[in-house]
Amino acid sequence: MTFSPTEYLAIAACLTAILMAGASDLRMNLTYYSIQTFLLAGVTAVLAPILKEEWLLVLAVLLALIKGVSVPIFLNWIRQKIGVNKDIGVMLATPLSMHLCVVLLGASYLFTRTLPLAPFEGRSWPTATAAVSLVFTGLVIMLTRRIALSQIIGFLVLENGIYLFALTQTSGMPMLVEMGILLDVLAGVMVAGLLIFNIQKSFEHIDVTLLDELKD
Amino acid sequence: MTPILQWLAMLVYLIVVPPLVIGIIRKTKARLQNRVGPPLFQFLFDLIKLCQKSETVSDTICWIFRSTSAINFAIMLVLAVLLPWTGFKPQIHGADLFFVVYAFALAKFFTILAALDSGSSFGAFGSSREVFLSALVEPPVILSLAALGIGVQSSDLYQAFSFESLSMAHQSALWGLVGISIVMSSLVELSRMPIDDPTTHLELTMVHEAMTIENSGRNLALTEYAHVLRMTILFGLTFQCFLHAVPWAYTAGPLLIGVIGIIGVLLVAFGVGIFEGLAVKLQWRKNPDFIAYSLTMSLLACFIAVGGGIVK
Repeated sequence: MTFSPTEYLAIAACLTAILMAGASDLRMNLTYYSIQTFLLAGVTAVLAPILKEEWLLVLAVLLALIKGVSVPIFLNWIRQKIGVNKDIGVMLATPLSMHLCVVLLGASYLFTRTLPLAPFEGRSWPTATAAVSLVFTGLVIMLTRRIALSQIIGFLVLENGIYLFALTQTSGMPMLVEMGILLDVLAGVMVAGLLIFNIQKSFEHIDVTLLDELKD
Repeated sequence: MTPILQWLAMLVYLIVVPPLVIGIIRKTKARLQNRVGPPLFQFLFDLIKLCQKSETVSDTICWIFRSTSAINFAIMLVLAVLLPWTGFKPQIHGADLFFVVYAFALAKFFTILAALDSGSSFGAFGSSREVFLSALVEPPVILSLAALGIGVQSSDLYQAFSFESLSMAHQSALWGLVGISIVMSSLVELSRMPIDDPTTHLELTMVHEAMTIENSGRNLALTEYAHVLRMTILFGLTFQCFLHAVPWAYTAGPLLIGVIGIIGVLLVAFGVGIFEGLAVKLQWRKNPDFIAYSLTMSLLACFIAVGGGIVK
């Protein structure tokens, strides 16, 4: 099995996501997220000459700057303000959710093999597998974590998966739409971070398992 | 090379390299802590000294304790001859992956029995911890070797590690993942740093040292040598995995591969020494998490091996 550079980068990105599911330390999670976004920026930059779309290079730089640098720094700042370091998880222990993600990677492989793939260059089943597996891993992180900050991280991983799928499997979205999505993600993370901050202020914890108790 | 020369090279290798491996680990660790550290061949001097000492044994022992060190040593010699852990080795078929895994387990089984046989409470501590770790570390080892087996369509490790099989030549991702999985599992198997600190004899945490604590004299010398031989074999296997990940290695000559193999084992020892100097010992209940990472790597390797088979 020989991979092209795009496929190597995409698979490395989905490996960092799987390691994220296994790390209970929140700072480690943010570092992995940053690495993962840089890998996706790498995929974008490598695809730019193949698809002959120069603006993808601009997008790669913006992706690295906004999602790879500022979002992790902002979330880390929130984490320090709230004072949480670890997320022990609910339902599944973190090592087990990592193994679940590997199983889901296998499932997404079987799933993407049945997809009709466009016979363009750079559009192949390994990138599709990586993208679908990123979506699954994001879902697992969102479902099995206790601290509300992890839900944001899981959502960001899921968003990365959708981005990778759109980039590698379709003929691509117009530049303005991609820029708009980037802005949306930034604004979404800002709002969610401030929301967590307020939850912390009124409930004195951000444990999502305890948020179903209604309070007057 | 002719077979006689190969056997002779193997003999020299078995005498020189294992002490050097443990010596390099200790020296690296010492230099990182601003100490001079023992000479590189201190392990050999220790063995010679231990052989001159008389032996003290517990009153409760039976033949199990007496024969364990010899059994361990014999099993390790058989594995050293069978396993493809170095280039300078007579080429022998028959290193079946299940046989290899359970031969390692058999050696461990006898060490545990001997520790219980000696009747000391430390031995019992060590045995219980060792059984706990072995039960956890067995799946990653078997799965990572099985991934190689799936790739080459045979359970013979000699075929997987021979540079002739073309189906394994471009499987860099598979070899890399198997290498990472094996190096992490072997740190657990050898009860080295993130799991257990072999230099502190703290009875609350020690694993392997607790089991050999009742051995003395020549018995201890043989046990220690078997342990270091096991370490060398596992490090050699790790390096061979990483070597197979490099496509260039498939075109190089056997002599060059052999020399690189020796340097590689010493490099792995150097890396482990640096890691041990920097890492902190894990809390005991965090150990399953560490092994879980190893299991993840081997699961991914299996996935790539199976997936690669479907693509072809």
